[in-house]
Amino acid sequence: MNTHTDSLYLRPLTAHEAVRMAGEHLNDHRYLAGGTDLLVNRFQGNDATPCLIDLSGIEALHQVTVTDQWLRIGALVRLNDLMTDPAVHAEFPGLQVAAHAVGSPMIRRTATLGGNLLCENRCSFYNQSEWWRDAVGRCLKCDGDICIATGGRKACFSKLSSDTAPMLIALDAQLEVAVPGDMITMPVRDLYTGDGMAPFALPPAALVQAVMLPLGRGFRTAFRKLRRREAVDFSSLTTAVSVDAAGKVRIVVGAVDPGPVVVEGTAADNRADLIRKAFKKARVIDNDTFPRTYRKEMITVFLERCFAEIDATTNN
Amino acid sequence: MARIQLTINDREHDLLIGAHDMLSTVIRENAGLKGTKVGCSQGSCGACTVLVNDEPVLACITPAMRCHQARITTIEGLALQGTPHLLQQKFVEKGAIQCGFCTPGMVLTALHHVEQAHDNSVEGIKEALSGNLCRCTGYKKIIEAVAEYAQEVASGNAVPTAEVAEGMVGTARPYLEAARKAQGTATYADDLAPANALHVRFLRSPHPHARILRIDKSAALALPGVRYVATGEELPTPFGVLPISQDETAMAIGKTRYIGEIVAAVAADTEAIANKACSLVQVDYEPIRSFLTMDDSLADTGEHEKIHAHTRGTNNVHKKAELRFGDQAKGLAEAEVVSRMDFTMEGVNHGFTEPHAASAYWDENGLTVTTATQVTHYLHRALAKVLELPLHRVRVIKPTVGGGFGGKSDPFPHEMIVAHLARRTGRPTRTCLSREEVFLTNHGRHPSRMTIQLGADRDGTLKVLDADIVIDGGAYGSFGVVTSYYNGVLLQAPYKLDNFGFVTRRVYTNKPQSGAMRGHGAVNSRFAVESLIDDISHRIGMDPVEMRMKNFLDANTLTVGQYRITSNGSRESIQTVARSSGWGDRRGHLPYGRGLGVGCGFFISGSALPIIRNDLPQSTVHLKVDFDGRVLITSGANDIGQGSDTMLAIIVGEVLGIDMERLFVLGADTLLTPVDLGSYSSRVTFMAGNAAKDAAEQLRAAIADAVAARHDVPQAELVFAGARVHSNDRRVDLSWEEAIEALTAGRGAVSVSGKYISPKLGGDFKGAGAGLSPSYSFGACVAEVEVDPRTGHVKVMDVWGAHDCGKALNPMAVEGQLEGSWHMGIGQALSEEMRYHEGLLVNNNFLDYRIPTTLDTPTIHTHIIETMDPEGPFGAKECGEGALHPVIPAIANAIYDAVGVRVTKLPIHAEHVLALIKAKAAQNEPIPQMP
Repeated sequence: MNTHTDSLYLRPLTAHEAVRMAGEHLNDHRYLAGGTDLLVNRFQGNDATPCLIDLSGIEALHQVTVTDQWLRIGALVRLNDLMTDPAVHAEFPGLQVAAHAVGSPMIRRTATLGGNLLCENRCSFYNQSEWWRDAVGRCLKCDGDICIATGGRKACFSKLSSDTAPMLIALDAQLEVAVPGDMITMPVRDLYTGDGMAPFALPPAALVQAVMLPLGRGFRTAFRKLRRREAVDFSSLTTAVSVDAAGKVRIVVGAVDPGPVVVEGTAADNRADLIRKAFKKARVIDNDTFPRTYRKEMITVFLERCFAEIDATTNN
Repeated sequence: MARIQLTINDREHDLLIGAHDMLSTVIRENAGLKGTKVGCSQGSCGACTVLVNDEPVLACITPAMRCHQARITTIEGLALQGTPHLLQQKFVEKGAIQCGFCTPGMVLTALHHVEQAHDNSVEGIKEALSGNLCRCTGYKKIIEAVAEYAQEVASGNAVPTAEVAEGMVGTARPYLEAARKAQGTATYADDLAPANALHVRFLRSPHPHARILRIDKSAALALPGVRYVATGEELPTPFGVLPISQDETAMAIGKTRYIGEIVAAVAADTEAIANKACSLVQVDYEPIRSFLTMDDSLADTGEHEKIHAHTRGTNNVHKKAELRFGDQAKGLAEAEVVSRMDFTMEGVNHGFTEPHAASAYWDENGLTVTTATQVTHYLHRALAKVLELPLHRVRVIKPTVGGGFGGKSDPFPHEMIVAHLARRTGRPTRTCLSREEVFLTNHGRHPSRMTIQLGADRDGTLKVLDADIVIDGGAYGSFGVVTSYYNGVLLQAPYKLDNFGFVTRRVYTNKPQSGAMRGHGAVNSRFAVESLIDDISHRIGMDPVEMRMKNFLDANTLTVGQYRITSNGSRESIQTVARSSGWGDRRGHLPYGRGLGVGCGFFISGSALPIIRNDLPQSTVHLKVDFDGRVLITSGANDIGQGSDTMLAIIVGEVLGIDMERLFVLGADTLLTPVDLGSYSSRVTFMAGNAAKDAAEQLRAAIADAVAARHDVPQAELVFAGARVHSNDRRVDLSWEEAIEALTAGRGAVSVSGKYISPKLGGDFKGAGAGLSPSYSFGACVAEVEVDPRTGHVKVMDVWGAHDCGKALNPMAVEGQLEGSWHMGIGQALSEEMRYHEGLLVNNNFLDYRIPTTLDTPTIHTHIIETMDPEGPFGAKECGEGALHPVIPAIANAIYDAVGVRVTKLPIHAEHVLALIKAKAAQNEPIPQMP
């Protein structure tokens, strides 16, 4: 319940100010980017943090800039803007495809790239109202003792839900993260712990400021998303594949594991082996509209098609 | 609290709000602008869309504080000095508005799209609108409206509002209230909540089947702002829509029968306090064995307690319905080809975009309830019963309703409870269910399974049909007894069958109850039968269209179960869709992975028997005309977005020769309007329409009488047209107002009462009444699909549909009903299902309950078939439900044509299709390569 008395809504104008505010509310704050994920979780009672720090007023986080080595995308750049940005289009059209796969046009006009990367892991047994979760008996992820989706395991397998994360990892992207008194960079890949309970490896009060994409690597990419409807739905399986000019291959699979499933190789490797590795690594459980076995099976099909797509662009 | 400044529609607001309040709440509750609708509260449906600094956002997941000092445009802000925005006009003119609940969001999203000069092709518009769900229109007319607007903006040549052609019956026209819906000024139940109303929230059971040992309300009552906490024993009188299934109470008494059943209710000063208080009510439960599947409930319960004590057997079977005609065993033995299959269908929900909402107050006139309902009349009776009031102390008002599809056609617990709490507290009360609660309330289509045998001769003549059906009724009766019959009886047409029999068992289970939903009862079994026909046609090498043509019943005939078939457009319907889809040339010749399928349908046009046996007419319509010449039409029929108010006006206007300007419809207010049984069983056009016609003819006769007397002209010579009353030779030629002056002279205002009573129909045997209707509708669909053989994914590319509606009184409305029906059928076919985990509904929101978006909706080709029904008003019959039937089997049969597998499960999930494709490949030939 919103009691209104202890609710805080803060609107910093700089990243520095945001991090400071977070420091002042260290254990009871949430950064709010677009909010299309967080606010639904709050509506369902999965988050009741009293202090919301709305980042939307931080102008610097909305910029897309190009330097010698990097395309830098501010964390607050909305997915919709990403889809029409000429610099992104010129260098990383695959990222636009991934952004387009998120939600609906209504969502993408509000949702941001940073927010999508930090979209909370999802599970049929978690993304429910408080009443519902009480009725089912509360799973690990909401203060219960066991994972209900797996019928009693002691780990949380809620799935990575970001569609842009697999593509950014495939593109070897880095994150620029503001932490109290400092600024660090880390690969997007390292953002994810693979633990459904605490999916993100960020220090307290850390603020993802930007995504940095390496220029000049000559990536060719392909992207696919499994869902029942062609809009609105979260992913049941996301695949992103990249091959760079040096022949480095990266397969990233999302929505079938608490974290991204990453397999690396080279153009010389047997693709079927690479795909098999990804297939084996994915800890898919029945926490989605599609059954586990089907999602697992589709990993292979989707990855084969991703490779075929990349081959087709090569041949052209 | 926090202070915020907003400029909404050019007006500045300085408001104190909760720091975490959403923009939709602030717009509706603080700024009082009710045009912004809330359909899901979690950003999945788009109804709440508003413009913030000219960009559309989902107001239900936009923190109001983010919009501090922003410029906000809601739907109310689009019209300029009373002139609707051109896009709003386009929505009206094109029939893009039915229930209107999604309209404000849809208009604002579309406006932004066009103004940004994005891609204004149909594909571009579909993409832009894919986050805004509409349950009524199938999006077709919305897309047309946006496309035309975009074109006019692009060409700089905004076309003025198209005039509606002259004439009433047969002229396409927007709904009477369409402009109000387009401008956000139509008021729905939650928009009309009385000032100072207490908020009512519900505590719901977390157990599927449990004894309630103790309820402790003390902590809830101690919370400041809580005014009352009610529990079940305060309203002990059971109710239900059918007299034979009065098995539900407003709140659980003694035990709960499904997860989500209301156990206690709180009235409090705010919604937040009421919610908090619900969580403070302590209930001790003792769970007992629950029955969650059809098999659980068919089996003997042994020592375990049944769900309902009143059921006859030692199991949880609620109703067994069985009828047999001819000899099925003999028919099956003699048929040259028999196809037998098992089918399973998951439950589906109506998915209307407006959540249930109701308010209540008491005054010197007793109880008044304003609620989103399809059946004011039955609710009137149920409220009187449960609240122990005489019928004359209950008034039920239906405001604008945001869709129903059968889901608002029962009396509901929340309606009883708001009335009760208003009485107990002496304050008005209001409630609006969350989308989760709407899904838990359910009353959707029954999950079903059936084994059906169909026999034919090698020449394609159908010989026998035998159906064994089980339907999952959930915890209470609802319309279930009728559903049980409809599953079977409605299979006796549109094909001639001499040996026809079925048995349906409806079981109670500990799940949210099933009930009536568009195409009531017959949708699943129709899918099954049309699949079997397809199978037989392939086995005997006959074109499925030809085989159906061979078996259709004729017009003016009786079915084996003694349904009187009058008008019958089956043949025309199937020939139309075959022609327009290129069936003859393309079916069977498409590449692997692509296919065409056909299906047919049959439905009642109003149940010939009332639910509550009595001698009242099924519909009564009053007309009143006074000195001003305006004709007031009052009818208890519930316009829920299907356009029935407009239909009544068309009929009255046609008879009296006057236009819409002189007509006013007052619908569904039990104090002010005569009884109509309600909007269910596709009865309103036929029955209320006939009553309106009867009333109008009486009024015309009275006017003719007065004019004849005053002007010395034979009545028979008088013509009513063009808002004039004149003799054939024009010797007497009066304006409408002059004619009314003659009528009212020395007499004053004149009122007439028209009625409709169904003719006596049907046989003499037990169960003969099931499915009897004064007329029946017929139709056909062809669907084209693309199936991905490696994933099993099915995409519907096109649907060609034709439906025999007798006569399209308003072709625009008829098309809208048909397109909406096909769209809903596509949803059930491919993406919609109610999924449970141990009795707990898993997908209780618009994110996980998947109504097709614009991008999931194929190109729809609409064909109206007219057969001039002999008893329908001006030849009209139903078009709102029956059209749904053929589309699901058409899709399934197209999948067979595409990849050679027979789908027997709904929804048709990719994983099922893939499994079938693989099983087939394992049996025989390898899967052909996709091109």
